[in-house]
Amino acid sequence: MSAVWRAARAGVRRRRVQTFVIGLVVLLSTTTIVVALALLAATSAPFERSFARQAGPHAIAVFDPAVVSPDQWAGLASPGVAAAAGPFSAVTLQPAERVGPGPRGPVTVVGRADPGGPVDRLDLWQGRWPAAPGEIVLNEPVHELFQDPGTITLDGTAYTIVGRAHALSGSADAWMTPAQVTALGPDAVQMLYRFTGDVSTTTAVEARLADATAGLPTGALEAAQPYQVVRDRIAADVAVYVPFLGSFGVLGLVVGIVIVGNVVSGAVVSGYRHIGILKALGFTPRQVVAVYLLMVSVPAAVGCLLGTAAGSFAAQPLLRDGFQGMGLDPGVGVDVWSLLAGLVGVPATVVLAALVPALRAHRLSAAEAISAGSAPRLGRATRVQHRLAGLRVPRAVSLGLGLPFARPGRTAFTVVAVLLGVTTVTFATGLTDTLVRVSAIEERSDGQVAVQPSNGLIRLTPDGVPPPAGPPVTTSRTDAEVSDLLRGLPSAARVAALYRLPVTAVGQTEALDVNFMRGDYATMGLADELTAGRWMAGPGETVVPSELMRERGLALGDRITLRLGGAQRDLTVVGTLMDGPNGPPGILADWAVLDGLDPGRVVPPHEVRYQVQLVDGGDVAAYVRAVQAADPGLDAWDTAQVSDMLLTLVGFSSTLALLLSAVAALGVFNTVMLNVRERRRDLGTLKSIGMTPRQVVTMVLASTLVVGVAGGVLGIPLGMLAHRVIMPATAGASQVALPAAVLSVWQLPTLVLLALAGVVIALLGALVPARGAARLTIASVLHNE
Amino acid sequence: MTTVVRLDNVRKEYGDTTALAGVSLEVRSGEAVAVMGPSGCGKSTLLNMIAGLDRPTSGSVHVHDEDLGRLNETKLALFRRHRIGMIFQFFNLLDDLPALDNVALAAQLTGSRVDTARQRALELLDELGIADRRNVYPAALSGGERQRVAVARALMNRPGLLLADEPTGALDSRAGEQVMDLLLDLNQIGQTLVIVTHDERLATRCASRVVSLADGRVAGERALERA
Ligand SMILES: Nc1ncnc2c1ncn2[C@@H]1O[C@H](COP(=O)(O)OP(=O)(O)OP(=O)(O)O)[C@@H](O)[C@H]1O
Ligand SMILES: [Mg+2]
Repeated sequence: MSAVWRAARAGVRRRRVQTFVIGLVVLLSTTTIVVALALLAATSAPFERSFARQAGPHAIAVFDPAVVSPDQWAGLASPGVAAAAGPFSAVTLQPAERVGPGPRGPVTVVGRADPGGPVDRLDLWQGRWPAAPGEIVLNEPVHELFQDPGTITLDGTAYTIVGRAHALSGSADAWMTPAQVTALGPDAVQMLYRFTGDVSTTTAVEARLADATAGLPTGALEAAQPYQVVRDRIAADVAVYVPFLGSFGVLGLVVGIVIVGNVVSGAVVSGYRHIGILKALGFTPRQVVAVYLLMVSVPAAVGCLLGTAAGSFAAQPLLRDGFQGMGLDPGVGVDVWSLLAGLVGVPATVVLAALVPALRAHRLSAAEAISAGSAPRLGRATRVQHRLAGLRVPRAVSLGLGLPFARPGRTAFTVVAVLLGVTTVTFATGLTDTLVRVSAIEERSDGQVAVQPSNGLIRLTPDGVPPPAGPPVTTSRTDAEVSDLLRGLPSAARVAALYRLPVTAVGQTEALDVNFMRGDYATMGLADELTAGRWMAGPGETVVPSELMRERGLALGDRITLRLGGAQRDLTVVGTLMDGPNGPPGILADWAVLDGLDPGRVVPPHEVRYQVQLVDGGDVAAYVRAVQAADPGLDAWDTAQVSDMLLTLVGFSSTLALLLSAVAALGVFNTVMLNVRERRRDLGTLKSIGMTPRQVVTMVLASTLVVGVAGGVLGIPLGMLAHRVIMPATAGASQVALPAAVLSVWQLPTLVLLALAGVVIALLGALVPARGAARLTIASVLHNE
Repeated sequence: MTTVVRLDNVRKEYGDTTALAGVSLEVRSGEAVAVMGPSGCGKSTLLNMIAGLDRPTSGSVHVHDEDLGRLNETKLALFRRHRIGMIFQFFNLLDDLPALDNVALAAQLTGSRVDTARQRALELLDELGIADRRNVYPAALSGGERQRVAVARALMNRPGLLLADEPTGALDSRAGEQVMDLLLDLNQIGQTLVIVTHDERLATRCASRVVSLADGRVAGERALERA
């Protein structure tokens, strides 16, 4: 064994660069694989895992405290109940009108002595649990924004926020000590249940809940919420990410494995000569295999360890940005399986990749191994070389172009690596472009400036901007006067007013939200959102967001009959919009329809939202200031803001595109390095007959040009296809259709640039070994070989 | 007679090994110099210095009035391309090119068009009597044939100086003989020749002067009267 160990150590020492490359490739690939798997894992059932981690209740049952007495809970051990928490007293309190983040509307406060327990284990991510009266903990997902504790006023009493916790189940909006809730006079009692057996459907959960509460007086159970309610809401949010992360995940996985396989097996193949010498020295075939496994295992092990660590670090922020906002706890971070894949799967791949050629070496005789160590002479390769020799290109180029054919397997692997790198870059580029276009369309159709007259209670500001000081004031202007004011201010080009009103529609069980619009709305960019049909040609027509079309079973050409008071109006659906104006999806109608339905209606200005577009080059900030100066009762803000989702997805895709490109470039680097090493003798010969350093570099780069072009040419359509399939799928998951314009992102210049990406990846990888080849001292090559 | 090669006190060290320990030597135009000596005495190193394949640790090498020490790598490559033809013991042909393309390669590197290069390569192969083997790959050629292809390649750019490092070392006596005759013929039409060899017979037949090396130094010189 010690001979094996010594030979392996000597081998590692002698091939420092190779050893380093193996380590680095394994490191980067492991990083990619861990990130990829973490993303894949995160998209598959993130709710289930977070929910299981928190031991979330399958059912939240709310009882009337007047009907059930405390001692009645004792005898309630039902066989179907796996675990129960409670009874917890609950009270509903009214918050003061708040500005900034925090709960709006009634707040359900539950009295709990601690955040743990058998069910609904809360994630207390900030501060501590309430210990005294006057202290409160809010239910909020982990978010950097809520940094300072502060206070909250409920039913006129101020409470100190001592911490923030998150319950995925939504079992409460806030928690206090049980004593405090009792003192406030609870209006409900809450029980949280986890059941054994089937809980897959709401019916099953309800049946189990009925069993569990069978012993209680009738009428005791006031309300119950099966966990599916929360699950479905979150699932819809997560679904948006699945196609992206899935495709990037798979790409990362495949590239990682391909490169590791290529690099490791390449190392062994190029070591055949050394293997032959070992055999000639009397090493048994088994020992030779062991030497080679050891030689690649040492750097691979280091790479795996560092890569797994790097991967879990890299995945954390991506996952946090992607999922925490949805209320999924940071526990969706890198899971055990991804780490195991990095720590076990990658080494297994390495060993396998080394084993195949090593076993071939096992069978080779010493002499065969020695001669197999230099580049192989294949019939096909020589034919290719012969044909290339007649080409009218510089000889260095034609020689280089022939090199990849001498090692077709290695070349194929390298092409695949570059191909997938290019696919990723292509897809990421298209994705970014589409998202930017979507957000550009939305931004434009929202106007550049939004104006909302204050209702005298709260002030509106865009996310993350503190509201202006002082109490809100109402405007004295009427709706029409506000429009006139906005139109009259300098730089205003187009002004539209939007009034949202739920209106009964004949044949629809629920009222339809109608966005009545007035002014220049038709030319403000909403028409760019059309995914089917055409824009409205008159007040008798409407366009409808795709989500609503689906939800209400509408089709182009359908007639919608709106009914308001005694009047009714017919609208024909002539077009589908991506998602329509801001807010919940509603159909679009001209203000004239409202006037027709209800001629005397006075619309209070604070229920109207105004959108303003400025003349080209207009100063948005100056306009916003002008609005506030003209009428302090109007809140105005710049609508331009980059959406979180946009940032997250672009972040995801760029990170992975970068990683994969780096891995692919390293793969090329390795291939070229091995090719150069195997061709050292030929290089020496060529230089001895007068090949200049520049010609050597040209030759080596030309050899990777084949790889780069092949990868680029094949990778681009693949990336475009991925974009074609995945973008609509993603949009579909979030219930919207996309206008064709945001999908046709491919123009010739982009495609040319992308094709260059493959070439650049390949050339970058080849540059260092090419220059190394140019610097080889011929005398020593010819002396040693 | 003009001086083609002039070495002044050339030393070459590889780490602790001293391959050349101060060699001074001149080769004049039209001469055929044989360099002889025991294994490891520095013969190949000496040849490499003349070919500009390696640089001396100290001392200077002039070939055709070029001070090789002052040439950068590219200039050295161009120098080799136009001034030097090299022949090696183990031929050093590119295995994936047929004989003709191996020879043509030397001209193609200088930018010659492929048909011109192949034309001249064919003429050379013809002169060396192996034109019929032009499409055969090195692996299928005999040792003597391979060495003749290598000679053809070395002559491709009409070098002023032909360097041969044990050109018959890997050949049986008959093939060795043929290569010897070839070199002799070349020298007789004016080709300047430096041949490294162990083979006394080769030396006496081809060379006009024998330089003996021992331990990296010139140990002796004798002129030969050629037949
Ligand atoms: N590139 C090199 N690196 C290290 N040492 C070298 C190198 N080239 C030559 N040497 C050493 O320099 C000395 C002279 O070598 P050289 O090849 O010139 O001998 P030689 O006379 O040609 O021998 P042979 O007749 O065996 O070919 C030897 O000791 C050799 O090991
Ligand atoms: Mg020698």
